[in-house]
Amino acid sequence: MKLLLGLAIGMAIGAVMQMGGASSYRKILGALLLKDMTIIKLILMTIAVTTVGIYALDLGSLAHMDIKPTYVVGIVIAGLIFGVGFAISGYCPGTCVLASAEGKTDAMFTVLGGLAGAALYAVVYPLMAPLISMTNYGEITLASVFNVTNGIWIAVPFSAILLLLVFRVLKDRYE
Amino acid sequence: MQDSPVLSWKVAGLLLGLLVILATALVKPFGVSTQYVVTDAIVLHSTAPALAESNEYLNKYGTKEDWGVGYGWMLVLGMFLGSGVASLATHRFRQRKNPSLPDMWSAQFGDHKGKRLLQAFIGGMLLLFGARLAGGCTSGHMISGISQLTVGSFIFGAAIFASGILTARTLYRKRSSS
Repeated sequence: MKLLLGLAIGMAIGAVMQMGGASSYRKILGALLLKDMTIIKLILMTIAVTTVGIYALDLGSLAHMDIKPTYVVGIVIAGLIFGVGFAISGYCPGTCVLASAEGKTDAMFTVLGGLAGAALYAVVYPLMAPLISMTNYGEITLASVFNVTNGIWIAVPFSAILLLLVFRVLKDRYE
Repeated sequence: MQDSPVLSWKVAGLLLGLLVILATALVKPFGVSTQYVVTDAIVLHSTAPALAESNEYLNKYGTKEDWGVGYGWMLVLGMFLGSGVASLATHRFRQRKNPSLPDMWSAQFGDHKGKRLLQAFIGGMLLLFGARLAGGCTSGHMISGISQLTVGSFIFGAAIFASGILTARTLYRKRSSS
């Protein structure tokens, strides 16, 4: 049952992301070159909706939260590596799957590269342990850092700022 | 424009947000990159079991007895199918002139199919190495993580865009007219 649920939610997510242009190389590079804001607005809009929704659920203890640990040094290094891969391939680990389904051969190579990269990480994992234990602050959120019991008090103004950004501030600029 | 999305960012963002909320209510927040490890574990347990069983990291995600194919893996399979169906239904399937070359890429680097595929592969390696070190990718960290107000996810997002923007600018700097 849970497997079918995963498949159904995944299909809906895949269809929406594909139709939103998330699997387009031109849209992703346009975002990284700061010329085409579509993808950035799509991501920020998604986060604005999700943040309020999740913390509203959390008020009734209905959200299955999954907070990842914050290990600052390891995460910064990981993000820098990821960003280079993002710009070189023009995809991310999810969108290359979507683009592969559209028949884009380069995206299929990104999926294969991804499998190789994950395998490489599995091999060197013992060497990475210090990066994960160093500067590790555990499962912290803005709510826990500011000692706010109900995260909704941060979620609402945060989402409002994101909505202001996407509707009023961010503009495409083509040359 | 030929490649313009079927849905606006407003509609797509709203729908995607509602789907992630639904997933979080029913099971857990949405993430993709773990499933690359699950897939690696499946492949290695069937082809090189000794290697797979001795690897500490792979064993966290799949074992000989239980491959770890669960909700998360089916979700990524669903994403593949959903994208395929959507692209067929909206006549965007195989829409590029050359399936391996984005037009924007060939305008900058020329019609070098092999070079593009190599770049795409190396890019994928960096993406997943980085995502596994961070513990998530654009979906798990940026979308689901920031939506839960996770501090590390904000840091990851900032680092991704800093290095992504720098790399993209380097790749697409204007060629000096020699």
